[in-house]
Amino acid sequence: MRHEIQMSVDADPSGLRAVSTAFAEFAEAHSLPADVRRSINISLDELLANALSHGRTGRDPCSVTVEVRLDEERVTVIFTDDGTPFDPFGREAPDTTLPVEMRPIGGLGLHLVGQLMDEVSYQRRDGHNVVVLVKQLVNGQDTDFTDGN
Amino acid sequence: MQISTRTTNDISIVAIAGSLDSSTSPEAQKSLAQVLTSAKKVVLDFSALDYISSAGLRVLLGAAKQLRASGGTLGLFGLNPSVREVFEISGFSSILSVYPSESDALGAM
Repeated sequence: MRHEIQMSVDADPSGLRAVSTAFAEFAEAHSLPADVRRSINISLDELLANALSHGRTGRDPCSVTVEVRLDEERVTVIFTDDGTPFDPFGREAPDTTLPVEMRPIGGLGLHLVGQLMDEVSYQRRDGHNVVVLVKQLVNGQDTDFTDGN
Repeated sequence: MQISTRTTNDISIVAIAGSLDSSTSPEAQKSLAQVLTSAKKVVLDFSALDYISSAGLRVLLGAAKQLRASGGTLGLFGLNPSVREVFEISGFSSILSVYPSESDALGAM
């Protein structure tokens, strides 16, 4: 059984669906715990949406490569895009204590990624943004949570 | 994602199943907008919602603001641990009314 997936897509809605579908199959094939799978699903969605909005101004959508690797202890996601330099974790956390009327729409996605993952890192390498996310498999990959998986 | 709406007395119950993310949020927003044209009491049934990303939170926030502006109420129930965690991180658990069960949510409307 393959323990990793790698795919390249455009940062657009169809690319987003393709990544989401491929990861869902990967998660099911490896019986990833529901909480790990959901946290990665959310993070992939946030990073792709971010690449879509910050991508390459006035040109084609930026090209994204997503790698997901599984070993005994963790799932590692490597997200690479050729968009303009952008550190997704280099911003201040949004104010999540504001009342509903005051809330700006948006600004939360990358904050979620930072909180849901165990490790996040960013580097600019050879004209690409490279984001690495790590989620530990605390309970072992065979553990299946029964909360609606 | 699947969305279904039913009405109990004057309360609209909107069940959202699957994932609420960048791909599915536009459709969810459309469906909710339609419900909000007539409904003032809305309960979201999340018992079959797998996960929610910030795109989904944006839809909820828009609906909450609209209902609050028109004097309506919004309640939610059936959050799984992942959705609950996202609500905690984003602060949504303190700005939206989350109930432990459907009957609690309906009773509070």
